[in-house]
Amino acid sequence: MAIPRDMNAPATALTDVPPARDHANPRSAIAAFLTPALLIYAAFTALPVARTFFNSVHLVVPNRPDEWVGFTHYAELWTDKIFWKAVHNTLTWAVAAPILEVTIATLLALCLYAKVPFARFLRVAWFTPVLMSYVVVGILWMWILNYDWGALNEILRGIGLGGLAQPWLGHPATALPSLIGVTTWMWTGFNMVVILAAMSSLPSEVLEAAELDNCGWFAKLWFVILPLIRPTLLNLVILSFIGKMKIFDLVWVTTRGNPLWSTETVSTYVYKRAFQWSEFDLGYPSTIAVVWFVIVLAGVLLLTAIFRQRDRIEY
Amino acid sequence: MAFASDRTAVASRPRISTAALRSAALILFIALYTAFAAGPFVWVASMSLRTTTEINADHYAFPWPMHFEKFAVAWTESNYDTYFFNSAAVVLAAVAILTVVGGMAAHCFARYRFPLKGVVYFLIFSTIIFPPQVTVIGLFQLMVDYGLYNSRIGLVLVYVAIQLPITIYILEAFFARIPGDLFDAARIDGYSEWAIFWKISLPVALPAISTTIILNTILLWNEFLYAVVLITDDDKRTLPLGVLRFMGDQLEDVGMIATGLMIAIVPVVLIYVFFSERLIQGMTAGAVK
Amino acid sequence: MTGKTLAAATIAALAAAAATGASAQELTLWSHWADQTAKVKFVEDAARAFEAAHPGVTIKISWYQKEPLYAALKTALSAGQAPDIFYAETDQTEYMKTGLILDLKDKLNWDAIEPWAQEVWGYDGGVYGFPLEAWTVETYTNEGMLEELGIAIPVDGLEGEAFVEAVKTIAGAGMTPMAQGVGDRPYPGAFLTHEILVKRLGKADYESLLKGEGVEWSDPRVREALEYAKEIIDAGAFPASFSSIKLGEAHRYFHTDPGAAMLQMGSFYPSRAFAAPDAGGQPENFALGIVNGPIPPDAACPQCKTIAVGGSFVVNAASEHPDLAVDFLNSMATPEMGNAWLEANLVQTGIKADPSAITGDKADYFKKLAAANEGVTYTYGIPVQQMHGTARETFTQTVNQAFPAGLIGVDEVIDMMGSSY
Repeated sequence: MAIPRDMNAPATALTDVPPARDHANPRSAIAAFLTPALLIYAAFTALPVARTFFNSVHLVVPNRPDEWVGFTHYAELWTDKIFWKAVHNTLTWAVAAPILEVTIATLLALCLYAKVPFARFLRVAWFTPVLMSYVVVGILWMWILNYDWGALNEILRGIGLGGLAQPWLGHPATALPSLIGVTTWMWTGFNMVVILAAMSSLPSEVLEAAELDNCGWFAKLWFVILPLIRPTLLNLVILSFIGKMKIFDLVWVTTRGNPLWSTETVSTYVYKRAFQWSEFDLGYPSTIAVVWFVIVLAGVLLLTAIFRQRDRIEY
Repeated sequence: MAFASDRTAVASRPRISTAALRSAALILFIALYTAFAAGPFVWVASMSLRTTTEINADHYAFPWPMHFEKFAVAWTESNYDTYFFNSAAVVLAAVAILTVVGGMAAHCFARYRFPLKGVVYFLIFSTIIFPPQVTVIGLFQLMVDYGLYNSRIGLVLVYVAIQLPITIYILEAFFARIPGDLFDAARIDGYSEWAIFWKISLPVALPAISTTIILNTILLWNEFLYAVVLITDDDKRTLPLGVLRFMGDQLEDVGMIATGLMIAIVPVVLIYVFFSERLIQGMTAGAVK
Repeated sequence: MTGKTLAAATIAALAAAAATGASAQELTLWSHWADQTAKVKFVEDAARAFEAAHPGVTIKISWYQKEPLYAALKTALSAGQAPDIFYAETDQTEYMKTGLILDLKDKLNWDAIEPWAQEVWGYDGGVYGFPLEAWTVETYTNEGMLEELGIAIPVDGLEGEAFVEAVKTIAGAGMTPMAQGVGDRPYPGAFLTHEILVKRLGKADYESLLKGEGVEWSDPRVREALEYAKEIIDAGAFPASFSSIKLGEAHRYFHTDPGAAMLQMGSFYPSRAFAAPDAGGQPENFALGIVNGPIPPDAACPQCKTIAVGGSFVVNAASEHPDLAVDFLNSMATPEMGNAWLEANLVQTGIKADPSAITGDKADYFKKLAAANEGVTYTYGIPVQQMHGTARETFTQTVNQAFPAGLIGVDEVIDMMGSSY
């Protein structure tokens, strides 16, 4: 909290200086640029987050003073089987989804980049899923994956593979893969649009040069285009990774972590412990959030490090 | 589809056949993916025009006769106009504030050196990944203290806060790639720091800004958890809650749910269809130089 | 009545006196049932009547679905911003434990409330909830389909192998024996098993088992009961889509498409099934029967079954107008209101009411429901209302879902449940 207050001081000083001349004083410019964001950050993010860290070492029950319990919540978490199941599921999701989304999106972007007919229509059609909320998507896919009349099973029966028809969200082996498929369906179009934009902004000389070198399309993709759009791909992978690490709405609308915790994610488990289980203690769910926060942060830093490392080697 | 590509391959001379095969495979891939991506949308659209009884008889029949009156029923009977207005107002305000506030902060991180910069940036960025289910409780208590609980303004500010890190993250990465010479030249021309931000950073970064605008609009338009917890009055609720009202937990009135879903989807899709060209142009035109 | 009128007059006078000070009193109420029009109308009507009788008082009701309501309440209570009156169910002992809701023992007009409904809301010497809704676990039957297959199920339920054979006959004819699913609720899948358990163990031992206070899951009687349930499950009792069928879908599956022979459901069945057919209700001329669930061999209490208090109202301990809030609840605690509830909602209530006073096309349904509940011994609350924490979660995942879905067997259930307390 000390940081925003430090930043406030120069901001008040700013009022004495005519704004038009403030470039003479970078300090006040910095303060002016940063203060609104920091105020919002402090008021609506930092304080609640600080409160969560506080909660995680206390027993937090209404109408009673918060009781210091040290790290007992953390010890309890270590032996909590449902938590580790949820971690496993979420990590699976967060690793599989970015790979699927970004890979398919790159292929689709290439199709449009190669100027296939109806590109405009295709772009809209592919992008549509991401415009829907998880609530809408969840309802829709519960219908598609419905055992009796869902589209997936109907198609399987239609092409003579009726034996493969199953209650996709109802079996522990297929529930999580099905949901991963749903997020892939939803987000691939978005990734495609961003990748396409990055490809379109590549300097044409580079591509022409590759053309002149009589590069195969795969070589061109692998050695020219992908390295050039790596920052974009990195952003997309991280975005997708983070989104899946805290995924909640879709699971909540469709399976609620069932069956047998096979789709339980850390977020749904936090929610269950905080709001569903008949306990008012907010300390333990806060502990889960803190631990998860550390794990996600480590994951993001790792991803960034991997990509940055490779950048440095190649340039 | 598979047959068609086989026949092309057989009929063509060997030289062309690989090219033909490749384009057939390409078309097949595109067709399959398009069916995969848009099929569900088409299906829900067809169901939105049919009654539940008709749907139960056959889930995949052509919607005939078309029951357009279902849309009127859904709209009038469920307070949809209110939800729709609330969503539009909250999201527009939040995205506008986000773009300016986030842009300023990102510009600052990208262009200036100051003490604790790394720490501040890290603090802001790290909150992207915090599970929202738990911060929502502390947030709720603060909103009550601020007198912003159960208010649309409060929801706007919370939305700004939750999307601020990702906005700054995306814009900062882009601002940092703008060549420094541009700014030095501007300073020599006597531009103030403000003018540099408004006249150089923002216009040059238009592609990235479009990205953040569309990203924020989509995510906030569909935001659910904070809206549930921070708004209690029915006339202040936003669209995702309205959709859930259709779903209910009472009956599986598939036809009416489909209509409700369509009302939630169509406006966004229309906006996208209408603005996508401009958006893509914005994202592509001179994105680097 | 006179006492109440007096109280009303006093409050009215007070309100009139305060009117110049512009301090009109507002009661806030948050409730589930946003999309159950009959229940909404019942409570709204009661509120309007109360407002008419108490000038200056307004009652502002926010209707929610259950999930968002619980989420909003959790945060609102923590922050001291909760409404005066809110919806609660009997499993939410955390409200009592933390002193968040008012003890209504000396406040509510308990003479008008069924004793068992009062007992269920008892906690640590106090009584906390106004039990508006109550329901029993029933086995609804598709009489037409059963007749076609030559199966007759007596109102007391089929015993032992007879039920297994019936399930096999139905499944063998390519029909679904029982339509329930667990797509959006943590309890319908367990109906079959826990009704067998309570019949096999008897009320006292069953409750002890659920609460982890004596009878163990490894008890041989528990194993026998589970093995009997497993036999029924393995005979193909549930549809393949069991895991994803939601409450509303289960109804449609049962009475419309594709049709099932039985549906085990809370007696809130009419709130969905008696809607218009086009809105997902049962077809006209559907031959509905109500019987009791299967009776396991060596049953200690074949007449045992579950009654649960559902939606109730509680008063916020931090309310600024607790007496007014209680007055409002009391305005609903009358036999007339009890009957009005029955007639409008076709589900039982904790208010003393007289189902036989109900006439018209709904009378027949009530007669069947009464027949299925004659001479029974009730255990109060379904298991998820009697259990807490990890045990509750494990029960939901195993006995409610994985076990009836055929994903795990008796040993796993005993193992997982035994280690969850």
